[in-house]
Amino acid sequence: MRAIRVVLGDDHALVREGIKACLESPRVLVVGEAEDGRELVRRVQVLRPDIALVDVSMPLLNGIEATRQIARISPGTRVVILSMFDDKGTVSSAREAGAWAYVLKDEAPDHLVRTIERVHEGERSFPAGTEGLPSPKLPVDLTPREREVLQLVAEGMRSAEMARVMKRSVCTIRNHRARLMRKLGVRTAVALVEKAEELGVVRLEAVRRSA
Amino acid sequence: MRPIRVLVVDDHALVRHGLVRLLATLDGVEVVGAAEDGESAIRLAAETRPDVVLLDLSMPRLDGMSALPRLREVAPASRVLVLSMHDEPEYAQAAVQMGASGLVSKAASSETLSGAIRAVAAGKTLEPEAGLTPREEEVLSLVAFGRKNEEIARALGIQPKTVEHHCGRLMSKLGVRTRAGLVAHARRIGLRPPAGS
Repeated sequence: MRAIRVVLGDDHALVREGIKACLESPRVLVVGEAEDGRELVRRVQVLRPDIALVDVSMPLLNGIEATRQIARISPGTRVVILSMFDDKGTVSSAREAGAWAYVLKDEAPDHLVRTIERVHEGERSFPAGTEGLPSPKLPVDLTPREREVLQLVAEGMRSAEMARVMKRSVCTIRNHRARLMRKLGVRTAVALVEKAEELGVVRLEAVRRSA
Repeated sequence: MRPIRVLVVDDHALVRHGLVRLLATLDGVEVVGAAEDGESAIRLAAETRPDVVLLDLSMPRLDGMSALPRLREVAPASRVLVLSMHDEPEYAQAAVQMGASGLVSKAASSETLSGAIRAVAAGKTLEPEAGLTPREEEVLSLVAFGRKNEEIARALGIQPKTVEHHCGRLMSKLGVRTRAGLVAHARRIGLRPPAGS
């Protein structure tokens, strides 16, 4: 029986290496890894793994958004979310975005391995008591692009850098920002960052200081 | 040379087990215990008298900062190396002031962790270089280990161009003009590859 192919995304190299060490077995093969959400989506697109192990709070593109994109570009890949938090809002957002499972970093490694095997066999796995909960809706409708820009603004990026990361023109980025600020009713970048945290689009501790 | 005995303390099982497995692959390092909270950390430190305690500071339930002074008390010969997700350099300073011998970011590579464990086991205190970001410290230590940009990029999961950018920033911040200068500087401040590597 061939091994389950996994791509792993987590922004902390030590944590990633540790998880890899826990997973490596005849049953599970880590074929790729990424340290940010955008790189993760790219790796999945190229490698088409059976499973994507996605940390919920990655820079550049958070785990929930990455899950949505993976569902689109590689429908055969099943997403298992990894998180330190099991607040019901995040769990239901993960479910709604198309994740097959949600695993806490609190759990023992063999729970993770078993979850990967079960998802591979077609079973979903979420923390007890979170079924059927509505996910927190944003007060306004943001497009996927706008949500991406919101996270990058919250990470302290300027428009030129966002344009590079998203492979769009600076003009397009500025339009997204302006629409975002209008939709969210804020007038400064700082207020936009605060809104992002408030709406759970990005956890401030996942925000990288630009090097 | 006898192995460095390490106690791992982290309250997230997946991360704790991961660190234990990682350390098990390192030459000359032996894991003597793993604790999931401050109380068992202090108890195990007193029992096993490790050379190094790897203590995670960033977990909400494990109050690493307050365990630190008690660890120093019950096992004064054990050097504490703090692990953190926090990016601020001031955090490293605070940890050192509370009795840690150094801080390693969780965004660091296992090579950096290995180097840091050996350094503190040998009695060094790892002072963060003032004004460098954790990523820049990371790149600097890998440069000190003689790694080329492609290897550094692979180790950190970033693009080679980004590594070049960091090296440029490092040279400018440290006032050196060549990569050799970077290596020399890094070795001067105590960043050194493990013996035999």
